[in-house]
Amino acid sequence: MSLFIDILSDGLFAAVAAMGFGSISDPPLRAFPYIAILAALGHAARFCLMTLCGVDIVSASLVAAFIIGSGSVYFGKKVACPMTVLYIPALLPMVPGTYAYKTVFSLIMFFQEISSPTKGSGYLQEMIFNGAVSFSVLFMLAVGATVPVFLLRERANSMTRGSRFI
Amino acid sequence: MNTMTDADMTGGQVREITDFIAKYLSYMLGAGVHTSRVVRNSKRIGEALGVDVSVHTSQKTATLTVKEKGGTHMDTMVVDIPAFPISFEWNADLSALSWAAHDKAMTLDEIRAKFDSLVSKPGMNPVFVLFMVSLANASFCRLFGGDMLAMLVTFTATMIGFFTRQHLTKKKVNHYIVFIVSAFVASICASSSLALGIDTAEIALATSVLYLVPGVPLINGLIDITDGHIQIGISRLVNAFMLIVCIAIGMSLTLILVKDSLL
Repeated sequence: MSLFIDILSDGLFAAVAAMGFGSISDPPLRAFPYIAILAALGHAARFCLMTLCGVDIVSASLVAAFIIGSGSVYFGKKVACPMTVLYIPALLPMVPGTYAYKTVFSLIMFFQEISSPTKGSGYLQEMIFNGAVSFSVLFMLAVGATVPVFLLRERANSMTRGSRFI
Repeated sequence: MNTMTDADMTGGQVREITDFIAKYLSYMLGAGVHTSRVVRNSKRIGEALGVDVSVHTSQKTATLTVKEKGGTHMDTMVVDIPAFPISFEWNADLSALSWAAHDKAMTLDEIRAKFDSLVSKPGMNPVFVLFMVSLANASFCRLFGGDMLAMLVTFTATMIGFFTRQHLTKKKVNHYIVFIVSAFVASICASSSLALGIDTAEIALATSVLYLVPGVPLINGLIDITDGHIQIGISRLVNAFMLIVCIAIGMSLTLILVKDSLL
Protein backbone atom coordinates (compact mmCIF):
# COMPACT_ATOMS: atom_id res chain seq x y z
CA MET A 1 0.00 0.00 0.00
CA SER A 2 2.72 2.42 0.95
CA LEU A 3 4.44 1.60 -2.34
CA PHE A 4 1.26 2.54 -4.17
CA ILE A 5 1.20 5.89 -2.37
CA ASP A 6 4.87 6.41 -3.23
CA ILE A 7 4.19 5.87 -6.93
CA LEU A 8 1.13 8.11 -6.83
CA SER A 9 2.91 10.95 -5.04
CA ASP A 10 5.86 10.65 -7.41
CA GLY A 11 3.51 11.15 -10.34
CA LEU A 12 1.69 13.99 -8.61
CA PHE A 13 4.80 15.99 -7.73
CA ALA A 14 6.26 15.40 -11.19
CA ALA A 15 3.05 16.81 -12.67
CA VAL A 16 3.31 19.96 -10.55
CA ALA A 17 7.00 20.31 -11.43
CA ALA A 18 6.28 19.95 -15.17
CA MET A 19 3.51 22.56 -15.14
CA GLY A 20 5.63 24.96 -13.11
CA PHE A 21 8.83 24.67 -15.12
CA GLY A 22 6.76 24.60 -18.30
CA SER A 23 5.03 27.86 -17.40
CA ILE A 24 8.36 29.72 -17.80
CA SER A 25 8.16 28.90 -21.51
CA ASP A 26 4.59 30.15 -21.94
CA PRO A 27 2.62 27.11 -23.14
CA PRO A 28 -1.02 27.60 -24.23
CA LEU A 29 -3.36 27.24 -21.22
CA ARG A 30 -5.30 24.43 -22.89
CA ALA A 31 -2.14 22.30 -22.86
CA PHE A 32 -1.57 22.35 -19.08
CA PRO A 33 -3.82 19.39 -18.10
CA TYR A 34 -2.19 17.17 -20.72
CA ILE A 35 1.33 18.26 -19.77
CA ALA A 36 0.48 17.24 -16.20
CA ILE A 37 -0.91 13.84 -17.19
CA LEU A 38 2.07 13.05 -19.44
CA ALA A 39 4.62 14.14 -16.85
CA ALA A 40 2.93 12.08 -14.13
CA LEU A 41 2.76 8.97 -16.33
CA GLY A 42 6.36 9.27 -17.49
CA HIS A 43 7.92 10.09 -14.15
CA ALA A 44 5.95 7.44 -12.28
CA ALA A 45 6.96 4.88 -14.92
CA ARG A 46 10.60 5.82 -14.45
CA PHE A 47 10.20 5.62 -10.66
CA CYS A 48 8.71 2.11 -10.92
CA LEU A 49 11.41 0.90 -13.30
CA MET A 50 14.19 2.25 -11.12
CA THR A 51 12.96 1.20 -7.67
CA LEU A 52 10.99 -1.97 -8.48
CA CYS A 53 12.90 -3.45 -11.40
CA GLY A 54 16.34 -2.02 -10.64
CA VAL A 55 16.71 -0.53 -14.12
CA ASP A 56 19.42 2.16 -14.48
CA ILE A 57 18.46 5.83 -14.84
CA VAL A 58 19.45 6.03 -18.52
CA SER A 59 17.33 3.13 -19.80
CA ALA A 60 14.45 4.06 -17.49
CA SER A 61 14.50 7.61 -18.91
CA LEU A 62 14.32 6.21 -22.44
CA VAL A 63 11.19 4.22 -21.60
CA ALA A 64 9.60 7.15 -19.76
CA ALA A 65 10.32 9.51 -22.64
CA PHE A 66 8.84 7.03 -25.11
CA ILE A 67 5.64 6.90 -23.04
CA ILE A 68 5.49 10.71 -22.93
CA GLY A 69 6.17 11.02 -26.66
CA SER A 70 3.48 8.47 -27.58
CA GLY A 71 0.99 10.16 -25.28
CA SER A 72 1.66 13.51 -26.90
CA VAL A 73 0.70 12.07 -30.33
CA TYR A 74 -2.71 11.27 -28.91
CA PHE A 75 -3.27 14.44 -26.87
CA GLY A 76 -1.63 16.77 -29.40
CA LYS A 77 -4.41 16.28 -31.94
CA LYS A 78 -6.99 16.87 -29.22
CA VAL A 79 -5.75 20.33 -28.22
CA ALA A 80 -4.17 21.22 -31.60
CA CYS A 81 -0.68 21.61 -30.18
CA PRO A 82 2.54 20.43 -31.85
CA MET A 83 3.90 17.40 -29.99
CA THR A 84 6.88 19.35 -28.69
CA VAL A 85 4.57 21.80 -26.90
CA LEU A 86 3.30 18.88 -24.82
CA TYR A 87 6.31 16.63 -24.46
CA ILE A 88 9.09 19.15 -23.77
CA PRO A 89 7.44 20.54 -20.61
CA ALA A 90 6.53 16.98 -19.57
CA LEU A 91 10.17 15.94 -19.91
CA LEU A 92 11.50 18.88 -17.88
CA PRO A 93 11.27 17.17 -14.44
CA MET A 94 13.52 14.42 -15.80
CA VAL A 95 16.24 16.71 -17.15
CA PRO A 96 19.36 15.74 -15.15
CA GLY A 97 20.04 19.18 -13.67
CA THR A 98 21.93 18.06 -10.56
CA TYR A 99 24.23 15.77 -12.54
CA ALA A 100 24.86 18.66 -14.95
CA TYR A 101 26.02 21.18 -12.38
CA LYS A 102 27.88 18.52 -10.39
CA THR A 103 29.93 17.94 -13.56
CA VAL A 104 31.08 21.56 -13.32
CA PHE A 105 31.64 21.26 -9.56
CA SER A 106 33.88 18.21 -9.96
CA LEU A 107 35.90 20.11 -12.54
CA ILE A 108 36.33 23.05 -10.14
CA MET A 109 37.32 20.67 -7.31
CA PHE A 110 39.82 19.03 -9.64
CA PHE A 111 41.52 22.40 -10.10
CA GLN A 112 41.58 22.87 -6.31
CA GLU A 113 43.33 19.52 -5.78
CA ILE A 114 45.43 19.64 -8.93
CA SER A 115 48.70 19.13 -7.03
CA SER A 116 47.45 16.02 -5.23
CA PRO A 117 47.38 13.18 -7.78
CA THR A 118 45.06 10.86 -5.83
CA LYS A 119 42.42 13.41 -4.85
CA GLY A 120 42.69 15.21 -8.19
CA SER A 121 42.07 12.08 -10.24
CA GLY A 122 39.18 11.16 -7.96
CA TYR A 123 37.43 14.40 -8.88
CA LEU A 124 38.28 13.91 -12.55
CA GLN A 125 36.64 10.51 -12.40
CA GLU A 126 33.59 12.04 -10.76
CA MET A 127 33.41 14.64 -13.52
CA ILE A 128 33.36 11.96 -16.21
CA PHE A 129 30.73 10.02 -14.26
CA ASN A 130 28.43 13.03 -13.83
CA GLY A 131 28.99 14.25 -17.37
CA ALA A 132 28.30 10.84 -18.89
CA VAL A 133 25.12 10.34 -16.90
CA SER A 134 23.73 13.80 -17.62
CA PHE A 135 24.46 13.64 -21.34
CA SER A 136 23.12 10.10 -21.74
CA VAL A 137 19.91 10.79 -19.82
CA LEU A 138 19.32 13.93 -21.85
CA PHE A 139 20.03 12.11 -25.10
CA MET A 140 17.65 9.30 -24.17
CA LEU A 141 14.92 11.78 -23.20
CA ALA A 142 15.09 13.48 -26.59
CA VAL A 143 15.38 10.24 -28.58
CA GLY A 144 12.67 8.43 -26.63
CA ALA A 145 10.20 11.25 -27.18
CA THR A 146 11.10 11.63 -30.87
CA VAL A 147 10.74 7.95 -31.83
CA PRO A 148 6.92 8.25 -32.09
CA VAL A 149 7.45 11.21 -34.46
CA PHE A 150 9.58 9.02 -36.72
CA LEU A 151 7.06 6.18 -36.61
CA LEU A 152 4.00 8.31 -37.30
CA ARG A 153 5.38 11.06 -39.51
CA GLU A 154 2.12 12.04 -41.20
CA ARG A 155 0.06 12.30 -38.04
CA ALA A 156 2.85 13.77 -35.92
CA ASN A 157 3.42 16.63 -38.33
CA SER A 158 -0.18 17.72 -38.75
CA MET A 159 -1.21 18.21 -35.12
CA THR A 160 -2.24 21.83 -35.62
CA ARG A 161 -4.03 21.28 -38.94
CA GLY A 162 -7.52 22.77 -38.76
CA SER A 163 -6.89 24.21 -35.29
CA ARG A 164 -9.89 26.11 -33.91
CA PHE A 165 -7.70 27.93 -31.41
CA ILE A 166 -6.15 30.61 -33.64
CA MET B 1 -4.58 27.54 -54.60
CA ASN B 2 -3.87 31.21 -54.49
CA THR B 3 -4.71 33.39 -57.43
CA MET B 4 -1.13 34.65 -57.46
CA THR B 5 0.03 31.42 -59.06
CA ASP B 6 -2.26 31.84 -62.07
CA ALA B 7 -0.74 35.03 -63.35
CA ASP B 8 3.03 35.50 -63.32
CA MET B 9 4.22 37.20 -60.17
CA THR B 10 6.07 40.45 -60.27
CA GLY B 11 9.43 40.82 -58.56
CA GLY B 12 7.71 43.07 -56.02
CA GLN B 13 5.27 40.35 -55.02
CA VAL B 14 8.06 37.82 -54.54
CA ARG B 15 9.91 40.39 -52.43
CA GLU B 16 6.82 40.91 -50.24
CA ILE B 17 6.41 37.16 -49.71
CA THR B 18 10.10 36.86 -48.87
CA ASP B 19 9.82 39.67 -46.33
CA PHE B 20 6.91 37.98 -44.62
CA ILE B 21 8.38 34.47 -44.55
CA ALA B 22 11.68 35.88 -43.25
CA LYS B 23 9.82 37.55 -40.39
CA TYR B 24 7.75 34.43 -39.74
CA LEU B 25 10.72 32.10 -39.49
CA SER B 26 12.84 34.53 -37.47
CA TYR B 27 10.02 34.84 -34.90
CA MET B 28 9.68 31.08 -34.66
CA LEU B 29 13.41 30.47 -34.34
CA GLY B 30 13.69 33.32 -31.83
CA ALA B 31 10.95 31.82 -29.68
CA GLY B 32 12.82 28.51 -29.41
CA VAL B 33 11.02 26.27 -31.88
CA HIS B 34 13.14 23.38 -33.14
CA THR B 35 14.60 23.87 -36.60
CA SER B 36 12.90 21.18 -38.66
CA ARG B 37 9.46 22.46 -37.66
CA VAL B 38 10.37 26.04 -38.61
CA VAL B 39 11.66 24.92 -42.01
CA ARG B 40 8.62 22.73 -42.64
CA ASN B 41 6.16 25.48 -41.68
CA SER B 42 7.93 28.08 -43.82
CA LYS B 43 7.86 25.77 -46.83
CA ARG B 44 4.17 25.15 -46.21
CA ILE B 45 3.36 28.87 -46.23
CA GLY B 46 5.49 29.23 -49.37
CA GLU B 47 3.54 26.40 -50.97
CA ALA B 48 0.27 28.19 -50.17
CA LEU B 49 1.53 31.38 -51.80
CA GLY B 50 2.95 29.64 -54.85
CA VAL B 51 6.68 29.85 -54.15
CA ASP B 52 9.48 27.42 -53.27
CA VAL B 53 11.28 28.24 -50.03
CA SER B 54 14.75 27.02 -49.00
CA VAL B 55 16.13 27.93 -45.60
CA HIS B 56 19.57 27.86 -44.05
CA THR B 57 19.66 28.45 -40.31
CA SER B 58 22.34 29.20 -37.81
CA GLN B 59 22.29 30.48 -34.25
CA LYS B 60 21.89 34.21 -34.79
CA THR B 61 20.88 34.58 -38.42
CA ALA B 62 18.92 32.66 -41.04
CA THR B 63 19.15 32.81 -44.83
CA LEU B 64 16.28 32.06 -47.13
CA THR B 65 15.74 31.92 -50.85
CA VAL B 66 12.24 32.25 -52.25
CA LYS B 67 11.62 31.24 -55.85
CA GLU B 68 8.46 31.64 -57.86
CA LYS B 69 7.05 28.24 -58.85
CA GLY B 70 7.55 27.76 -62.57
CA GLY B 71 8.66 31.36 -62.98
CA THR B 72 11.87 33.33 -63.05
CA HIS B 73 11.58 35.71 -60.08
CA MET B 74 13.51 34.88 -56.95
CA ASP B 75 14.73 36.65 -53.85
CA THR B 76 17.32 35.89 -51.18
CA MET B 77 17.56 37.42 -47.75
CA VAL B 78 19.64 37.11 -44.60
CA VAL B 79 17.58 37.79 -41.52
CA ASP B 80 18.64 38.37 -37.90
CA ILE B 81 17.00 36.09 -35.36
CA PRO B 82 15.60 38.24 -32.53
CA ALA B 83 16.10 36.93 -28.98
CA PHE B 84 12.56 36.36 -27.75
CA PRO B 85 11.78 34.45 -24.57
CA ILE B 86 10.81 30.84 -25.35
CA SER B 87 7.12 30.63 -26.22
CA PHE B 88 5.25 27.39 -26.78
CA GLU B 89 2.15 29.47 -27.42
CA TRP B 90 3.76 30.96 -30.54
CA ASN B 91 4.97 27.52 -31.50
CA ALA B 92 1.41 26.18 -31.48
CA ASP B 93 -0.27 29.27 -32.96
CA LEU B 94 2.19 29.93 -35.77
CA SER B 95 2.20 26.25 -36.76
CA ALA B 96 -1.59 26.35 -36.91
CA LEU B 97 -1.31 29.52 -39.03
CA SER B 98 0.83 27.68 -41.58
CA TRP B 99 -1.81 24.97 -41.91
CA ALA B 100 -4.60 27.53 -42.14
CA ALA B 101 -2.72 29.34 -44.92
CA HIS B 102 -2.26 26.03 -46.72
CA ASP B 103 -5.79 24.67 -46.35
CA LYS B 104 -7.87 27.84 -46.62
CA ALA B 105 -5.88 29.48 -49.46
CA MET B 106 -5.41 32.71 -47.50
CA THR B 107 -3.88 35.70 -49.28
CA LEU B 108 -0.61 37.22 -48.11
CA ASP B 109 -2.43 40.16 -46.49
CA GLU B 110 -4.73 37.84 -44.56
CA ILE B 111 -1.83 35.70 -43.35
CA ARG B 112 0.11 38.81 -42.32
CA ALA B 113 -2.83 40.25 -40.38
CA LYS B 114 -3.39 36.94 -38.59
CA PHE B 115 0.33 36.68 -37.82
CA ASP B 116 0.37 40.17 -36.28
CA SER B 117 -2.63 39.42 -34.10
CA LEU B 118 -1.14 36.09 -32.94
CA VAL B 119 2.26 37.48 -31.93
CA SER B 120 0.74 40.45 -30.08
CA LYS B 121 -1.30 38.24 -27.74
CA PRO B 122 -0.23 38.91 -24.14
CA GLY B 123 1.98 36.27 -22.50
CA MET B 124 1.45 34.61 -19.15
CA ASN B 125 1.14 36.77 -16.03
CA PRO B 126 4.65 37.03 -14.46
CA VAL B 127 3.28 36.73 -10.91
CA PHE B 128 1.48 33.53 -11.83
CA VAL B 129 4.67 32.17 -13.40
CA LEU B 130 6.63 33.11 -10.26
CA PHE B 131 4.18 31.18 -8.09
CA MET B 132 4.11 28.15 -10.41
CA VAL B 133 7.90 27.95 -10.65
CA SER B 134 8.27 28.11 -6.87
CA LEU B 135 5.68 25.38 -6.47
CA ALA B 136 7.43 23.30 -9.12
CA ASN B 137 10.82 23.58 -7.44
CA ALA B 138 9.29 22.65 -4.08
CA SER B 139 7.79 19.52 -5.67
CA PHE B 140 11.17 18.81 -7.17
CA CYS B 141 12.70 18.98 -3.68
CA ARG B 142 10.12 16.39 -2.62
CA LEU B 143 11.00 14.12 -5.57
CA PHE B 144 14.61 14.16 -4.41
CA GLY B 145 13.52 13.08 -0.93
CA GLY B 146 13.18 16.40 0.91
CA ASP B 147 10.72 16.74 3.82
CA MET B 148 8.01 19.37 4.33
CA LEU B 149 10.35 21.95 5.87
CA ALA B 150 12.89 21.51 3.10
CA MET B 151 10.10 21.99 0.57
CA LEU B 152 9.07 25.21 2.29
CA VAL B 153 12.63 26.54 2.23
CA THR B 154 12.99 25.59 -1.45
CA PHE B 155 9.69 27.29 -2.25
CA THR B 156 10.79 30.55 -0.64
CA ALA B 157 14.32 30.41 -2.03
CA THR B 158 13.00 29.79 -5.55
CA MET B 159 10.53 32.62 -5.25
CA ILE B 160 13.29 35.08 -4.31
CA GLY B 161 15.68 33.68 -6.91
CA PHE B 162 13.16 33.67 -9.74
CA PHE B 163 11.99 37.18 -8.83
CA THR B 164 15.63 38.29 -9.11
CA ARG B 165 15.86 36.66 -12.51
CA GLN B 166 12.65 38.28 -13.77
CA HIS B 167 13.75 41.65 -12.50
CA LEU B 168 17.27 41.51 -13.94
CA THR B 169 15.99 40.20 -17.27
CA LYS B 170 13.58 43.15 -17.45
CA LYS B 171 16.55 45.49 -16.90
CA LYS B 172 18.26 43.79 -19.88
CA VAL B 173 21.27 42.63 -17.86
CA ASN B 174 23.54 40.16 -19.70
CA HIS B 175 21.93 36.74 -19.32
CA TYR B 176 25.08 35.02 -18.05
CA ILE B 177 25.22 37.51 -15.19
CA VAL B 178 21.50 37.02 -14.58
CA PHE B 179 22.06 33.28 -14.20
CA ILE B 180 25.06 33.64 -11.87
CA VAL B 181 23.27 36.14 -9.63
CA SER B 182 19.97 34.22 -9.55
CA ALA B 183 21.73 30.95 -8.74
CA PHE B 184 23.66 32.67 -5.96
CA VAL B 185 20.56 34.35 -4.49
CA ALA B 186 18.44 31.18 -4.58
CA SER B 187 21.13 28.98 -3.06
CA ILE B 188 22.10 31.46 -0.34
CA CYS B 189 18.42 31.65 0.65
CA ALA B 190 18.20 27.86 0.65
CA SER B 191 21.35 27.59 2.76
CA SER B 192 19.29 29.02 5.63
CA SER B 193 18.01 25.45 5.98
CA LEU B 194 21.50 24.43 7.16
CA ALA B 195 21.35 27.06 9.90
CA LEU B 196 17.80 26.01 10.81
CA GLY B 197 19.01 22.43 11.26
CA ILE B 198 16.49 20.82 8.88
CA ASP B 199 17.19 17.09 8.34
CA THR B 200 17.17 17.26 4.56
CA ALA B 201 18.90 20.66 4.30
CA GLU B 202 21.35 19.35 1.69
CA ILE B 203 18.49 18.44 -0.64
CA ALA B 204 16.89 21.87 -0.26
CA LEU B 205 20.23 23.46 -1.14
CA ALA B 206 20.84 21.16 -4.11
CA THR B 207 17.38 21.65 -5.66
CA SER B 208 17.07 25.40 -5.03
CA VAL B 209 18.85 26.29 -8.31
CA LEU B 210 17.19 23.71 -10.54
CA TYR B 211 14.55 26.15 -11.79
CA LEU B 212 17.37 27.78 -13.79
CA VAL B 213 18.42 24.65 -15.71
CA PRO B 214 17.80 25.43 -19.41
CA GLY B 215 15.83 22.26 -20.08
CA VAL B 216 14.04 23.47 -23.20
CA PRO B 217 17.18 24.47 -25.17
CA LEU B 218 18.88 21.23 -24.09
CA ILE B 219 16.03 19.06 -25.38
CA ASN B 220 15.58 21.25 -28.48
CA GLY B 221 19.28 20.90 -29.26
CA LEU B 222 19.08 17.13 -29.14
CA ILE B 223 15.87 17.09 -31.20
CA ASP B 224 17.68 19.16 -33.83
CA ILE B 225 20.58 16.72 -33.82
CA THR B 226 18.28 13.70 -34.25
CA ASP B 227 16.54 15.56 -37.09
CA GLY B 228 19.88 16.07 -38.85
CA HIS B 229 20.24 19.80 -38.13
CA ILE B 230 23.46 18.98 -36.36
CA GLN B 231 25.21 22.35 -36.45
CA ILE B 232 22.37 24.34 -34.92
CA GLY B 233 21.71 21.50 -32.48
CA ILE B 234 25.27 21.71 -31.21
CA SER B 235 25.03 25.52 -30.98
CA ARG B 236 21.95 25.20 -28.81
CA LEU B 237 23.64 22.62 -26.57
CA VAL B 238 26.75 24.78 -26.19
CA ASN B 239 24.57 27.78 -25.33
CA ALA B 240 22.72 25.77 -22.70
CA PHE B 241 25.97 24.38 -21.34
CA MET B 242 27.29 27.92 -20.82
CA LEU B 243 24.22 28.66 -18.73
CA ILE B 244 24.79 25.51 -16.65
CA VAL B 245 28.36 26.68 -15.99
CA CYS B 246 26.88 30.01 -14.81
CA ILE B 247 24.49 28.18 -12.46
CA ALA B 248 27.41 26.20 -11.04
CA ILE B 249 29.46 29.38 -10.53
CA GLY B 250 26.62 31.13 -8.69
CA MET B 251 25.97 28.12 -6.52
CA SER B 252 29.63 27.48 -5.79
CA LEU B 253 29.90 31.00 -4.33
CA THR B 254 27.25 30.02 -1.79
CA LEU B 255 28.83 26.64 -1.07
CA ILE B 256 32.24 28.21 -0.47
CA LEU B 257 30.66 30.70 1.91
CA VAL B 258 28.60 28.23 3.94
CA LYS B 259 30.25 24.83 3.54
CA ASP B 260 33.80 25.37 2.34
CA SER B 261 33.47 22.47 -0.12
CA LEU B 262 31.56 21.95 -3.34
CA LEU B 263 30.83 18.22 -3.31
